[in-house]
Amino acid sequence: MIEVLNFSKRYGDFLAVDDLSFTIGKGEIFGFIGPNGAGKSTTIRFLATLLRPTSGEGRVNGHSVTADPMSVRRSIGFMPDDFGVYDGMKVWEFLDFFAVAYEIPRNQRRKIIAEVLELLDLSAKRDDYVSGLSKGMKQRLCLAKTLVHDPPVLILDEPASGLDPRARLEMKALLNELKQMGKTILISSHILSELADFCTSIGVIERGKLLAAGSIQEIEQQIRSHRVIKAQVMGDGRAAAEAIFRGDPHVRQIEAYDRTISAEFEGQDDDMARLLDRLINAGVRVHSFGEEPLSLEEVFMMITKGVVS
Amino acid sequence: MRIPANPVLARELLVTLRSRTSYILQFLYIIALGALVYFAWPAAETTTRAVGPGKARTLFDIFFLGQFFLVALVAPAFAASGISGEKERKTYEMLLCSPLKPSAILVGKLASALGYLVVLILSSLPIMILCYVLGGLLLSEVVRGYLILILAAGTFGLVSTACSSYFRRTGSALVVSYLVILPLALLCVGLTRSDSPDVREFASLALLPPWCIAAWLVLSILVGRRLLHPPDLGSEGKDVIDEQEELKHAIGVVIDRDLFPDKLFAPAKRTDLMPDGANPVLDKELRSEIFSQGTLMLRVVIQVSMLLSIPLMAVLLFLQSERAAVYVAYVLTFNLLVGPVFSAGSITQERERQTMSLLLTTLLRPVDIVTAKLLAAFRVSTVLTFLLTEQMMLAYIMLQELRGRFWTLIVFLLIIAVTCLATSTLGLFFSALARRTGTAMVLTYLALLVLFVLPMGVVRYFEGDRSFSDSQLAAIAITSPYSAAFGVPMHTGRVEPGMGQTMKITNPILINVFGVQVPNWVLFLAIYPPFCLICYLITCLVFRIRWWRAGGLG
Repeated sequence: MIEVLNFSKRYGDFLAVDDLSFTIGKGEIFGFIGPNGAGKSTTIRFLATLLRPTSGEGRVNGHSVTADPMSVRRSIGFMPDDFGVYDGMKVWEFLDFFAVAYEIPRNQRRKIIAEVLELLDLSAKRDDYVSGLSKGMKQRLCLAKTLVHDPPVLILDEPASGLDPRARLEMKALLNELKQMGKTILISSHILSELADFCTSIGVIERGKLLAAGSIQEIEQQIRSHRVIKAQVMGDGRAAAEAIFRGDPHVRQIEAYDRTISAEFEGQDDDMARLLDRLINAGVRVHSFGEEPLSLEEVFMMITKGVVS
Repeated sequence: MRIPANPVLARELLVTLRSRTSYILQFLYIIALGALVYFAWPAAETTTRAVGPGKARTLFDIFFLGQFFLVALVAPAFAASGISGEKERKTYEMLLCSPLKPSAILVGKLASALGYLVVLILSSLPIMILCYVLGGLLLSEVVRGYLILILAAGTFGLVSTACSSYFRRTGSALVVSYLVILPLALLCVGLTRSDSPDVREFASLALLPPWCIAAWLVLSILVGRRLLHPPDLGSEGKDVIDEQEELKHAIGVVIDRDLFPDKLFAPAKRTDLMPDGANPVLDKELRSEIFSQGTLMLRVVIQVSMLLSIPLMAVLLFLQSERAAVYVAYVLTFNLLVGPVFSAGSITQERERQTMSLLLTTLLRPVDIVTAKLLAAFRVSTVLTFLLTEQMMLAYIMLQELRGRFWTLIVFLLIIAVTCLATSTLGLFFSALARRTGTAMVLTYLALLVLFVLPMGVVRYFEGDRSFSDSQLAAIAITSPYSAAFGVPMHTGRVEPGMGQTMKITNPILINVFGVQVPNWVLFLAIYPPFCLICYLITCLVFRIRWWRAGGLG
C-alpha cells in the first residue's frame, strides 16, 4: 500500500533523510518512531506529496508520489503535526469545505459529515466555531477532515502530540476503530507507548537513517541477542554471583544492587541456562533468574543507542 | 533606559540583519538613486550656475516627494506588525510577562521598524548634497527636507505601532494605519511643498515639529498604557464573535448581512452545504470576515474613510469641481495603500496560519486556489475603494458643470476599477513568490511605486525639456493611473448656472500610437487588463511550481 524506495532528502549540506526504504502492506498500522528531528516528518511530507525528494521514489496505493500526486492525494488522508484552522468557520463548514475540496457530491456530504462527526464524537460541536475549539478538539477535527473522502490510507504525523492523558486515550481508541475499519495507517510519534498497543509494525528512524523496520516481534528477534537478564539471590550470595556473572563470556555490562544483579547478555537460551547452572553449582541460592521483558521504550533506546546495527 | 541594552530592539535588528533581503533592497535603492542622478546630471559643458538651479530644485523635489512617499508607505508596513505580530505569533504574553518596561518594548519595536527606513533615507544624503552642489538650493532647505522626513517617519511609525497595539491582526492594523496616514501625508506635502516660501518655512519649522512631538507623546502614553494593562490578552474563545452582542453596542454604521449593499462587505454566513462544483476556497474567502473581527473592524474602516473623505470632497468636488481628478488621485492612493493589504497576504498567510498543507493535499488545482484568492482580494479592495467614489457620484449628480460631462465619471470609475485589479493581481503575484506576508507586502508596494508613482516623477523632471515631445512624456507615464486621471479632459473653472455650454475644457493628453493620437487614459485602460491577465497566469504557474507541485513546504 505504501512503498518508500531509496528516499533521500538534502537541505543544503544537511542530509535530513538518507536512503530510506520500507514497505507497508494493506491494513497494516505502521508506527514510525524516532527522536525529534530524526526525519519522520520529512518522510511523511514526502509521502503526502508536499515535498520533492532529492532522490528516490514513493508509491501510495499504487500511484507514484512524484509523477502522479493527484491520485496519491485522492488516496490519502493527511494530518500534519502542526496545523492551523480557518477563522470564522463553524465545525460543519470546515468539514464541508474539505469535502468540496475532495469533490464529494452534495447529496452525500450531509451524511458523511454527520458520520465523521459521530465517529470522532464531535456531533455536539457541529455548530461551534473552529477557532474556539480546544487543542484536543482541533486534533480530532483534523482527523475528521482526513476521513471525509474515506481514503484507504491515513498518514498521521504526531496525532496525539500536545494532548492531555484523557484525550490521548481517546485518540488511541479512535485509531483502534480506524484499524478495525481496515485502513492502512502510517503514524509517527516520538512517544512509544502511544504506538505499542495497536501498531502491527514499526520503523525506527534516527538521523535520517532507518535503523530497524518490521513487526514488533521481528524487531524483538533482532535484538534477542541483546537481552537483559536479572537474577535475585538470597542471603549474602551477591558477591559470589557477581563473580560468576563476570566470568561468563556472554555477559557484557553488570549492574548490582542489594541482592539483585542485572546484566546485558549476548548469548542464546542455552548460554543462559548454563549461567544459571553455574550459579547453582557454586552454591548461590537463586531466588529468581530470568530475562527482563523489553518494553518498546527499551527496544527503542537500544536501537537508537546503536546497539543494533 | 539604554537603547543598546534593549532586548526587543536587539532581537528585531538581529532578524533584519540576518536576512539577505534587507541588504539587497538597500543596494537596489542606492543603485536606483545613483542611476537617477547619473542620468539627470547636466552635461559637462552646461554645468554652470546658470543652468543648475532649475534642475537642482526639480531633482530635489522629486527626491523629497519620492522619499516622503516611501516613508508613508513603508513605515506602516514595518511598524504595524510590531505588536500585532507578537499577538499572532503568540509571543505577546511572554514579552509582557518579562520585566521589560512598556517604554522599552515600544522603543524597541519602533526603533527596529524605523531603523532600516532611516538608513534608507540617510543613504540618499550624498545625492541630496549633489543637488546642493548644482546650486540654487539653500542648505537650510536640504536640512528642512530631512527634518520633515524624520518627523514623518516617527509619526507614521508611532501611528502604526499604536494601531498594532489596538488590533489583534496585522491586516487590520495596517488598513487603519494607512487610512489615518494618507490624509496626514497629503496635508504635510501640501504645507511643505506650498508655492509660498513663507508658508513652507512656517509649516516645516514652526508648525510640524511641535505637533509631531505632541502626537508622539500622546501616542506613546496610550500605547504604554495598553502594554502595561493589556485588555486583549489570551485568545481562547475570543476569536469567536457574537454578532448579535456586537450589534447591540455598535455606534454609527450597522452592517446587516442580509441587506444588499452590506452583502458586498459581509455576505451572510452559510446555513447549508455548498452547491456541487463550487470553488470551496472562493466560497470560504467570500464569506469570511474581511478583518476576522466580526463587523466591528469593517465598520471602523468605513467610518474613518468616509469621515476623512468629506473635507476632500467638499474642496475638490464641490468648491473646485475642475479638480475632480485630484480627488480621484486620493481614491487611487487609498487603493494603492489598501489593495496590497488584502492580496499580498492571501497565499503567504495560508503558510503562516499553517493551513497550507491541509489545502495542498486536497484535490484543488492551483488555478482554483489562485483564482479564488484573486477574486476575494479584488472584491474587498474594490468595495472599500468604491466607498470613496460615492461622493464623486453625488457631485456629478448635483453640479451642473459635471453633469454635462457624465462620461468622465465613467472613465474615472474605470480607471479606479482597473487600478484595483492591478493592485490585487500584483499583490497576489508577490504573495505566491514570497514566503512571508511582510516581504510580499513590501515587494508589492515597491512594484506599485515603480509603476504608478515613479513615471510621474520622471515626467515632472523632464517637463519643459525640448528633447522630449509631450506625447513621448505621456507615453512614459502610461503605467500610472494618476497620469490617466489627470489626462481626462475637465472644464477649467467654476461655471455659473446657465453658462454650461460655454465652459472651457482642458486638452486631453494624447499619445502617438503608430501615427494615431490616442488619449492616455484610453491606453491606460487598454494595457492593464492584459497585463493583469499575464500576471495572473504567471502567478498560477509560480504557485504550481513553488507550492502545489511538492517542495514548497520543505
